[in-house]
Amino acid sequence: MCKTKWILSMAVLALAVPAVAQTKAYKAPRTPDGVPDLQGVYSNSSAVPLERPANLGAKEFYTDAEVKANKEAAAARAAAAAGKAPVNEVGTVADIHYDTAQFGLKGNVTDAMVSKRTSIITGETGRVPAMLEIATKRQADARAAVAGHQFDGPENRGIAERCIYWGNEGPPMLPVGYNATLQIVQGQGYVGIVQEMIHDTRIIPTDGRPHASDNIRQFFGESVGRWEGDTLVVDTTNFNDMPAVGRGASRELHVIEKFTRTGPQTVLYQFTVSDPKTWEKSWSGEYPIGKIDGAVYEYACQEANYGMANILSGARADEKKAAAAKK
Amino acid sequence: MRNWFTGSVVVASATAAILTAVFVPVQTQAQTKAPAYKAPRTKDGKPNLNGIWMSNGLPNWDLEPHGPAPSVDPKLGSIYAIPPSVGYVVGGKIPYKPEALEQKKKNFAARAKEDPEAKCYMGGVPRANYMSYPFQILQGSPDIMMSYQYAGAVRILHLGTPAKAPADSWMGTSNAKWEGETLVVDVTALGDQSWLDRSGNFHSDQLHVVERWTMRSADVLIYEARIEDPEVYTQPWTIRVPLYRQVEDNARLLEFKCVVFAEELLYGHLRKPVGTPEPAPANNGKGKGKGKQ
Amino acid sequence: MRKTLAIAAVCVGMLMASRPAAAHHAFAAEFDASKPLLLKGTVVKWELVNPHSWIHLDVKNADGTTTRWMVEGGSPNSLFRLGFTKESLPKGSEIVVDGYQAKDGANRAVGKDLTFAKDGKRLFMGGSAPGADGGNQ
Repeated sequence: MCKTKWILSMAVLALAVPAVAQTKAYKAPRTPDGVPDLQGVYSNSSAVPLERPANLGAKEFYTDAEVKANKEAAAARAAAAAGKAPVNEVGTVADIHYDTAQFGLKGNVTDAMVSKRTSIITGETGRVPAMLEIATKRQADARAAVAGHQFDGPENRGIAERCIYWGNEGPPMLPVGYNATLQIVQGQGYVGIVQEMIHDTRIIPTDGRPHASDNIRQFFGESVGRWEGDTLVVDTTNFNDMPAVGRGASRELHVIEKFTRTGPQTVLYQFTVSDPKTWEKSWSGEYPIGKIDGAVYEYACQEANYGMANILSGARADEKKAAAAKK
Repeated sequence: MRNWFTGSVVVASATAAILTAVFVPVQTQAQTKAPAYKAPRTKDGKPNLNGIWMSNGLPNWDLEPHGPAPSVDPKLGSIYAIPPSVGYVVGGKIPYKPEALEQKKKNFAARAKEDPEAKCYMGGVPRANYMSYPFQILQGSPDIMMSYQYAGAVRILHLGTPAKAPADSWMGTSNAKWEGETLVVDVTALGDQSWLDRSGNFHSDQLHVVERWTMRSADVLIYEARIEDPEVYTQPWTIRVPLYRQVEDNARLLEFKCVVFAEELLYGHLRKPVGTPEPAPANNGKGKGKGKQ
Repeated sequence: MRKTLAIAAVCVGMLMASRPAAAHHAFAAEFDASKPLLLKGTVVKWELVNPHSWIHLDVKNADGTTTRWMVEGGSPNSLFRLGFTKESLPKGSEIVVDGYQAKDGANRAVGKDLTFAKDGKRLFMGGSAPGADGGNQ
């Protein structure tokens, strides 16, 4: 089937036991500076959804038999869809799209799970908790302000459409349908993580420094890290009003992440999200990332964002047409 | 007698050779090259380039020697006037082909709108290394990461398996190796859209850059780049730029995601004019609004 | 078992945890559903850029004149991973574009189907270039 070389089979082995408790801790090799070596190019693609399908209730793991059945069903779906052009009615909105399959971007195919988890979010519900009333109102007000004005100017377009960031970049860093690649490089006293889409780099100092001044607010917040045994613990605050995790999050967002190497090719990524102005309680999740052969390719967005100009131009054309029709 | 004559000719020419070597003008060499400095090492024995670095900002205005000049917009007053500089081009000026020099002048005249920096486009190589924004070097094993504050540009310097580029990119493809105290980086597969500074100095997609990074002292890193582009220049030329370690107590690489500052310039003319009646929703679908993706 | 699971894991098209920017509504804002078109032309340039790649082609009109069009496609990064390079669509290639025209009337289109004129094979995935597997992913 696919030609891409991925080595996620190791991730499956690592997840044969529940990821929360490792029966035999893997001792990661060290960098020349003596800290656990997390360096490499990884895929953070995942077939596990962020939130658990509602019908599964409190079921956090599939059985081996269910994993096998899911994988077979996904393969059957892929085989049925293979080689077929997407079938949409000509002249409909649904038909206006390039063929994702042709660009290796088939984003609507469900592949077999690489872990037995039913959701990335851990715990009884496996879902993002209910939003506080103040947050629901905040979101509704924002939507109302833009309603009817979605194409007035670039500020009213989506953040990804503006090439500012993609929401999955976080923190927390979440899987995405394509270009789900990242690289970790460790320099003296720092861990650097570059996510391919949109080439954003997080630099995490591990020297025990405090967070930056409260005046400094960033899209990705500001991260400080420390080593706890073999685990890198990263604490991020100082978000601005539009943190990448979205979902209504505010400036009060606080994210804690943990990176633990679980084998030669895998790292377990865990996170906890809290925001006293948005959710009644914090929520946590985890999934493995696996090393791949290859590189992070440049995803330069802003530099060739023809789409933004085209979308605004299209809206102006629509308005002119509507005005002419009224005459 | 014969020996004496031969001997003295030899001595004379040797002396002449020595005297010539001493007096050949190598101006920038005398000014920015200090006696060889042996940098402290990383734990794996390489010169330690880790840190947050920044030029003094002058090369980003104009690589060539120049006096002070007015801002692109006199209404902005003196803040955005161009500061003078002795220049960073070894030998003085950029060796443009005649038609390329005409293009440079056109770029300069149009710079307020055409400078990629105005549009929040990444700086490219070599420019990203000497913009008025810091960048951080993370010396990993084996790869080195260079993370630039301006527009969040990033480069991975490959010191293990060399990387091959499937296509051109803004920050190019970089393969590096150590030569004594110097990190030598071969940069290829650069596109043709970046500029070399705010004065319209430019290149084509034939650009090939070889960088040499050498510590001059504990807090000064010399960035040298050999710039070759047979479509634009009559010969390869070299720049030499000092980079200074950022030693503030709280020195960090902060975000400068400048898209929000460039949108008016790029899309202002496409905004909905005031007083336009609302169109019917038609097939526009639902917009996303602020803060959502 | 390891090997089978590895194959199951390798496909690029994983279940998405978050929607990509290329959602239908954005394209419906750019291109006109009432202007389907079929272009046949010669590739002048292939812009391997993000968020979307663009193919520039010269289309010969019925009256003998030539019009330059640009056609929107997907992010090229997955193509790179599958072995495609900038050489995979050479200048001068004759292609057919089945798609929709820009709303503002410009010579811009989105190509929902891209094929080579000579044999009808898809340009990238779909049996026509390195990395393609007869249309299977």
